[in-house]
Amino acid sequence: MDWWRSFFRQESTHSRLLGVAFLTAVTLAITIVLPPVANGDLARGAAVAIVILGLSWLIGWSGQISLGNSAFMAVGAYTAGIWARHHTTTPLILTLVLAMVFGGLAGLIIAIPSTRLRGPYLAGLTLAFAAAVTPIAQNFTSITGGEGGIFMNSLVTPHWFGQLFHGTYASIDANSQWLADLSVVIAGISFFFMANLFHSRSGRAMRLVRDNDVAAELMGVNLSRARSSAFMVAAAYAGVGGALYALLQASVTPETFPLTLSITLLTLMVLGGIGTLSGAVIGGIIYSFSPDLVARVNSLTGVNPTSNLGANMQGIIFGALLILTMLFVPRGIASIKTPIQKLLRTRRPRPKLPDAAEVI
Amino acid sequence: MIRVEGLSVNYGAVRALRDVTFEAPTGQITAVLGANGAGKTTLLRTISGLVAPKAGSIFLDEKALVGVATENIARMGVAHVPEGRGVIEELTVEENLRLGAMASKVNLSEGLNEQYERFSALGERRKKLCSTLSGGERQMLAMSRALIAKPRVLLLDEPSLGLAPQITAQLMRVIRDLCENEHLTVILVEQNAKSALRIAHRAVVLHLGSAVASGDAAEVAANDDLRRYYLGVVVE
Amino acid sequence: MSTFLTSTFMHNVFGGLAQGVVYSLVALSLVIIWQSTHVLNFAQGAMAMFATYIGMTEIDRGIGYWWCVIISVAVGMALGGVTERVLIRPLYGKPEINPIVVMVGFLGIIEALAAAIWTSTTRNIAEPFSQIFYHANGKLVYLSPFIIFQIILAIAIMLAVAALFRFTRLGLQLRASAMAPEVSRLLGIRVSRMLTFGWMLSAGVGAIAAVITASATFGLFPTDMDGIFVAGFIAAAVGGLESPIGAVAGGLLIGLAEQFILSYWSPNVAPLGGIIILVVALMIRPQGLFTKTAGRRV
Repeated sequence: MDWWRSFFRQESTHSRLLGVAFLTAVTLAITIVLPPVANGDLARGAAVAIVILGLSWLIGWSGQISLGNSAFMAVGAYTAGIWARHHTTTPLILTLVLAMVFGGLAGLIIAIPSTRLRGPYLAGLTLAFAAAVTPIAQNFTSITGGEGGIFMNSLVTPHWFGQLFHGTYASIDANSQWLADLSVVIAGISFFFMANLFHSRSGRAMRLVRDNDVAAELMGVNLSRARSSAFMVAAAYAGVGGALYALLQASVTPETFPLTLSITLLTLMVLGGIGTLSGAVIGGIIYSFSPDLVARVNSLTGVNPTSNLGANMQGIIFGALLILTMLFVPRGIASIKTPIQKLLRTRRPRPKLPDAAEVI
Repeated sequence: MIRVEGLSVNYGAVRALRDVTFEAPTGQITAVLGANGAGKTTLLRTISGLVAPKAGSIFLDEKALVGVATENIARMGVAHVPEGRGVIEELTVEENLRLGAMASKVNLSEGLNEQYERFSALGERRKKLCSTLSGGERQMLAMSRALIAKPRVLLLDEPSLGLAPQITAQLMRVIRDLCENEHLTVILVEQNAKSALRIAHRAVVLHLGSAVASGDAAEVAANDDLRRYYLGVVVE
Repeated sequence: MSTFLTSTFMHNVFGGLAQGVVYSLVALSLVIIWQSTHVLNFAQGAMAMFATYIGMTEIDRGIGYWWCVIISVAVGMALGGVTERVLIRPLYGKPEINPIVVMVGFLGIIEALAAAIWTSTTRNIAEPFSQIFYHANGKLVYLSPFIIFQIILAIAIMLAVAALFRFTRLGLQLRASAMAPEVSRLLGIRVSRMLTFGWMLSAGVGAIAAVITASATFGLFPTDMDGIFVAGFIAAAVGGLESPIGAVAGGLLIGLAEQFILSYWSPNVAPLGGIIILVVALMIRPQGLFTKTAGRRV
């Protein structure tokens, strides 16, 4: 049973690689049978999951609260958009890397004033940045295309892919499946890197910075460098996620990344489970199916979707979910132990190490 | 008088107090002694209502205290000077004292004057922020703040902590005088058993949450076993 | 003199002050809530907006302006009190992130609710004082009776709040309850009542800010208070969360900065004005420009 257990606890790079690859493969299989609309949702969910993962690292592992990650998404998205406008033949990977780099840079810039601040001051500063995105995007027209935003060419489905799925759903719309698969794979790669980060020395150092910065300093950890790096990583992830999101819908406008998105990200992260991989996945899934969920709630309660109430139902539900989760299940869905997980727990009592979710 | 009966307190799985019973008679000083972690602070915190016991009861004269909110226990005349003194650093000396008088019906200016007379150092520093006070001054302030409301019961948690021996001796004298003059019931938690037993009338010794001895202070002090195992100090 | 008053410079000063006053009130409400509970209410702007909307619907029924103000403030205070008891009370003793997250969620839900109940269009109310600008020598001075009223109101409220905290028994209890709740309880202070009251007071002041905005601009859009909240927060942070005077000064400063940037540099950069000031201020003096106590409370 031991190697099984250590596999699930992902104690080596090897097992992490296998684990992520396995989950990615399963998800890819699912995309084959999903209808095109669901695949579109799934793709966007994957992009959002990447952002949530970065946010989880920042808030859950380094203990710094940020309400501004929608701004980093915007940076990544606009980077991709501006580049794609002039260089239409760049492979997707390079565009995303570019978005990641610019995202990370933005993170570094914002980290400079931010890492001196704690608690509400930090939250407020990041809130200010997030709130500034829409006006900046609207006003610096020459760079951002102003109100109209930037339109990009849709990602092209390779020929061999369409051939591969002849006869399944995909033959109806290979494009949406291609996008979904692409997003899932990119998400998988991102998750793999983050899993490594969680289990690395940096991860342990980060937890120490979060819980006991005096001790961390004594052990030689440079506090501001650690905190800044957390911002950069989160921003880089948000940049990739944002770029992917924009590429999926082939456009980016000032309205794509409003302040409410930051709130949504926070909600999804908290709901899923802060500081965990599975939490980010759950958050992404919830995001994918939230239009569906909202529609269900509307029909259940008999609310007309086009009425005022119906149109704002998503905001109401998400706000309520966030509040209820924080009050009753602060560590999110991922912390609810299913029977399977209970089975896999070791019987020997182990010293309880603080895990990522001790922040909340 | 404070009467504690069968008091048991748990912090999660840890039994902090086990079935503790003793009496602190009116107008006398009862010392609560024992090593670190013996449960002394928990005992005081349970009496003043900050901690809820798992079992047992506490009586202030005939009034039951368990289940009563802390602020109401304070208003009944139980003044608790907590571990670390609880001086609010961001406020001035006078503001801290005003706070002490807030919940009682005492005339503020009279009360202030009385405390300034008793502790002249406080009077000199009345407008200063408490972050500038020394350890001894903070202890004075904490006691004044407790006394300004004219309480019936005074709970003191390690008042000598961090203080030089001379100041500790002074402090103990002050406590004894107060007890006699104001007819206060004092429960004095101390690790410094020697100083405490000098002024106490009665003593309770706690060890790992249980009361292993209780009775006349002189008897407890003279008991060799107690001295060796629980008090760690040879008492003259 | 009159040429001075009608100069571009003074236009900007007056414009900046008028806007800055609203920021000051929001900042003040945040200082109140920080001083009395050590929690920062991120939903402050949204709550104020909600209360004002309720007040504005009452106006439709034909009551006067001042009743609208009174109702808005009263609703705001009630909302503040209820929020404290239901949402914040369970979170004492938990990590400080929790109330922030809950309040952010509350923000989302209130804005969505407001839009749902009252539609997403703007509403406004008739002003009590004339908003027509004065004239001097035939040119406009960017001051109106309403603006003067706003400024006087803000200063009056600020003085009242500062006096409350510094000189009254209640103020002392409020501050102590936030600084050292356990010790305060040991002294017989009803800490939970103080916390509720702090929220009520803060929400009331915030509501006044929203009412002024509703009167002054072309109305109040549900998400309007977001920007104002952010600016108010920055003002409070710059002024130092401990100081009512700092809050007001910070608010006016931000209002002026935004106005001047808008006028002399470019409208594009104006939203960034507040952020720039915040960053600069915090790098110079992390504890805010007006705080007495050294070091920022973590």
